[in-house]
Amino acid sequence: MTSVATAGRRDEAAETDDEFRARLRAFLTDRHPGRRPRDPDERLAWQKGWLATLFDAGYAGPSWPREYGGMALSFARQVIYQEEYARARLPRPLGTGVEIAGPTLIRYGTTEQKDRFLRPLLRGDAIWAQGYSEPDAGSDLQALRTTASRDGEEYLVNGQKVWNSAADLADVIFTLVRTGTPESRQHGISYLLIDAHAPGVVVRPLRDLTGEAHFCEIFFTDVRVPVADRIGAEDDGWPLVRTSLGHERAAGAMNQAAVYRRVLDELIALARDRGATTDPLVRDRLADFEIRVRIMRYTGMRTIADILATGEPGASSSTSRLFIATFEQDLHEFAVDLLGPYGVLGRHDAQAVQQGRWVWGFLRTRASTIGAGTAEIQRNTIAEQVLGLPRDPALPKDSR
Amino acid sequence: MVTGFVTPEHDQLRAAVRELLADRSPSAAVRRWMESGTGYDPEVWRLMSEQLGLHGLALPERYGGAGGSLVELGIVLEELGRALLPSPFFATVALAGQVLAASGDEAACERWLPGIADGSLTATLALAEEGGSWRPEDVATKAISVGDGWKLSGTKMFVIDGHSAELLLVVARSEAGPGLFAVDGEAPGVYRTRLDTLDLTRRLGRIELVDVPAVRVGPDGDATAFLHEVLDLALVALAAEQVGGAQTCLDAAVGHAKVRVQFDRPIGSFQAIKHKCADMLLRVEAARSAARHAAAVAEEPAERSAATVVAAAYCAEAFTFAAKENLQIHGGIGYTWEHDAHLFLRRAKSSEHLFGAPAAHRTRLAELTGIGGPR
Repeated sequence: MTSVATAGRRDEAAETDDEFRARLRAFLTDRHPGRRPRDPDERLAWQKGWLATLFDAGYAGPSWPREYGGMALSFARQVIYQEEYARARLPRPLGTGVEIAGPTLIRYGTTEQKDRFLRPLLRGDAIWAQGYSEPDAGSDLQALRTTASRDGEEYLVNGQKVWNSAADLADVIFTLVRTGTPESRQHGISYLLIDAHAPGVVVRPLRDLTGEAHFCEIFFTDVRVPVADRIGAEDDGWPLVRTSLGHERAAGAMNQAAVYRRVLDELIALARDRGATTDPLVRDRLADFEIRVRIMRYTGMRTIADILATGEPGASSSTSRLFIATFEQDLHEFAVDLLGPYGVLGRHDAQAVQQGRWVWGFLRTRASTIGAGTAEIQRNTIAEQVLGLPRDPALPKDSR
Repeated sequence: MVTGFVTPEHDQLRAAVRELLADRSPSAAVRRWMESGTGYDPEVWRLMSEQLGLHGLALPERYGGAGGSLVELGIVLEELGRALLPSPFFATVALAGQVLAASGDEAACERWLPGIADGSLTATLALAEEGGSWRPEDVATKAISVGDGWKLSGTKMFVIDGHSAELLLVVARSEAGPGLFAVDGEAPGVYRTRLDTLDLTRRLGRIELVDVPAVRVGPDGDATAFLHEVLDLALVALAAEQVGGAQTCLDAAVGHAKVRVQFDRPIGSFQAIKHKCADMLLRVEAARSAARHAAAVAEEPAERSAATVVAAAYCAEAFTFAAKENLQIHGGIGYTWEHDAHLFLRRAKSSEHLFGAPAAHRTRLAELTGIGGPR
């Protein structure tokens, strides 16, 4: 008898890609948790319930090893998984732990740490939030100043983090802290898992320019963290920051293109409804977005093909984030302009078009070229790592 | 065909073409031939045909070809674009050869494709006229039925190698509508002149036709749908060539930025230059995605036209962007006659206006996808 916990996991050779897709689709359809509740508490329970269902049936963590509850799929099957998951419109993992900290822990954690943390993380029992950026350490993350000073088998953590999504829901905050001297830069940074409920941790919602709070700021005052909760060696946490499992993020390369395909279709329908497409200038702009949204998909296909053929994503994937960020900013701004004075009504005005989604998107997508590395930093990285241009000699040595 | 799958055979083809052109057509040779009478190196033409079999690569086997597709031809054109090779290859193989093969006209294919496949015949496609439009619907050149054949009268403009090609495939209008006709470039009543052009590495001609004997190629009657397919083939080919040209501009700019020292440091260490290069890479890679996808779906009627105009509009502008940024990054040296930056800028801007400009392609995409359709 197959146990419930392994029902989702089978040997890849035991079925074809189509059979795998059909089985996954059937599961995601049959067990779909239904519409997203509006009430925040109900919504959280709905999300957690789904993640547990997924985990318990063996359908969580497509790129994760099986010993920690994952599916250990090949890259080709991960692509199928991401397509089906996006198609079913299901809740994503809570917090950023599964995507960012999980791979780090899998690669650098001790056996004890992996046994203790990974399964609850994947199952959604524990929500993890990232604590990297600080008020004076944004693009220059190596300038971070939150300190962790050793006190026996504990660290005493003091400092402030900012731009932390889901920190208000978090059970664990994965952070970068300074264990070296203030000048030590990347040579004195350690990677700590901090209990979000520990005394001395204060999380405050951060109201952003949209007027809502999508992020938090976190204050640490004499927070005691066991040394056993440090990942990797002391002062050597920096190389852990950009860990990923194979090319798991590229497996979803097509999904963003599919999302924007839908958004553009909605904008075109809106423009048509308002009679704006009789204007050749409007048609020209819409056609330009049509071109870009299609290229987004073609590039996703190329990236996946490159990984399947050579094991590496190729140059096209290095620029895709920048391509998408510019696209979504341009698209929302154009939508606002298209609507004229109605485009600049607030979200809550009864006469706002489509509940003000476009003007809200115009504001929200300002973050697209700031968060997770500004567009300027991305361009530097592309220039240096893909094109091989020399680094800026005025920057501190080996910073990156 | 899945976009993006590059096989080892593709890599070998690319490497072979690149090696031949690096060896036989470096910049100095390009400059020598662009100022010559014939405009191209017949020895390179012969090697491309005899040594690498490029002419017949994407033509059907029964007419002397190798049975490849636009994907393989696209690889060749990307390399020709990279090297800025002055050659009748584009007009003969990518235009006339592909158009004949797509026509489904057995007699025409038997008569001319073997010559194109073995490199013994040069040919071209004559579409636009003095009005400057590339829409088959706008063609005014007249085709009059005379006995078993036709006689053409009118004026064709912006014809690639139009002053020299041996076989002319001419779009003309009969009483039933626009269609395609074959004309011997040396026939009586053909008056041809070479145009003075911005692009020094691709020659254009004006062709005046006065009661010239012609043979119908492809569908009888109103062949507008076929002519749109012809235009699509031309645009997919051009997009591949533009990607190659844009890649050279990027490579040249990055290469220069690494070695050019000002203020005691390579200029490529300045963010202003890095960001320009990163933006060039973004456009070159997006253009490559578009061009390769268009080539991959060229034989799928439902997808072909939209994928083609996406590539046409994006690749044209990406190439011009890359050419301008390359020149800018080179600074003063890039403004000299001796530097190649201007040759690429000339090619880029000129090819933006071959077979329709980006704005026209976007208009067509809006039509194809129903953007401007009814409420």
